[in-house]
Amino acid sequence: MKTLVSITAALFLAAIYLIFFYTPTEAVMGLVQKIFYFHLPLAFTSFFSFFLAFICGILYLVKKDAKWDLYSACSVEIGVVLTTLVLITGSLWARPIWNTWWTWDPRLTTALILWLIYVAYLILRMSIEQEGKRASFCAVMAIIGFVDVPIVFFSARLWRTIHPVVIEKGKINLAPSMKLSLLLAMIAFFALWAILFRIRSQTLFLNARIKKLNNKLLEEA
Amino acid sequence: MKNIITIIKKDLKMEFRKRESLTSMLFFGILVLVILNIAIGTGQKIAPSISGGILWVAIIFSAVLGLDRVFSNEKENRCIDGLLLSPIEPETIFIAKMTVNFIFMIIAEIILIPTFLVLYNSAVSFENLPMFIAIIMLLNLGFSSVGTLLSAISSGTSRNDIMLPILLFPILIPLIAATVKATSELLSGSGVDKYLSWLYLTMAFDFIFFGSSYLLFEHVIKEG
Repeated sequence: MKTLVSITAALFLAAIYLIFFYTPTEAVMGLVQKIFYFHLPLAFTSFFSFFLAFICGILYLVKKDAKWDLYSACSVEIGVVLTTLVLITGSLWARPIWNTWWTWDPRLTTALILWLIYVAYLILRMSIEQEGKRASFCAVMAIIGFVDVPIVFFSARLWRTIHPVVIEKGKINLAPSMKLSLLLAMIAFFALWAILFRIRSQTLFLNARIKKLNNKLLEEA
Repeated sequence: MKNIITIIKKDLKMEFRKRESLTSMLFFGILVLVILNIAIGTGQKIAPSISGGILWVAIIFSAVLGLDRVFSNEKENRCIDGLLLSPIEPETIFIAKMTVNFIFMIIAEIILIPTFLVLYNSAVSFENLPMFIAIIMLLNLGFSSVGTLLSAISSGTSRNDIMLPILLFPILIPLIAATVKATSELLSGSGVDKYLSWLYLTMAFDFIFFGSSYLLFEHVIKEG
């Protein structure tokens, strides 16, 4: 764990160095474009979290093992935090570039609706006490929430899009130095994701164990 | 099939004796239509692109009230345990409850849509009527399938009345958006080709969510 933290810290420092000193400033957008190196990795990791929550939800319903529920829960928690950051960084960038904080572009709409769905998931999680029930209900919500994503995206795409398309059909529309910075930032963010996931899932496991021991003590008393 | 009809009959009989859901659904729906009309400004001609959205806001809000009753009725006196103990498959219960909800929505719409047309000075021409009914039925299908699943979830939580809209509305956004777009086009008199892609989207939503709700319902109702 300690090595993972130090590696991640080093990765972030290197990524920040590359972003601000190595890659040239973008010709049209200027310094604001630098936010992109944080925005895209955040978007990737948040989407990855929700995908993982979906997979863990299915595994829980099939195997009925509490660990899948806890994994699913901490993926959603991390995903919601990352999506919030995606929306904030996107807005900060959009204000000078698109001259608006918000527009109903497919990707923006999808990110916002994802945020709404998974905040609803967290509210649902808070309002149930019994563990078995909470796990099943949350697994169902994680599954139908993720199933909704493609429909949301296509419905929003029927309106026009103004979002810059950076990755398209396997090739990346970026200068090589920018690509390198982006790649490093991406690795750094996935390492950060791994740390968050590890810490959060340990906390949830300990919580569950404390609850179990507590119940046992109450029974004996 | 016989079991489905028995449950539907039971629910409808209960509703027509107490008239709890439908009264509040209709009253609330009309209330929303009136309030939004006043909020926009009375005496103004409201463009179809806006009034289409208002119609569906009213219908969705009133339908949630009916949806909430479908399972909380069963929770009273723990009727749901009896239903689960009887030799009926969870899937059968799902289809029956979904149909009940579908019927409630249609009854509410039969009153709400004419009220809307009067209040908002809109009209649906005779040749557009089949398409309008198709749009309505597609929304009802998607709404009642995912709604039945989520109302089973919300009735199992400690705050069931507020949980249902919190869980349901984010999931429904694409369905509502597509239906509103199609309705607005239809009300402004465009041809089918203008909104056909939106209808395909609602069909995809209905198909995906009917399937996933049907499959997942068993896991929810057994925990309830």
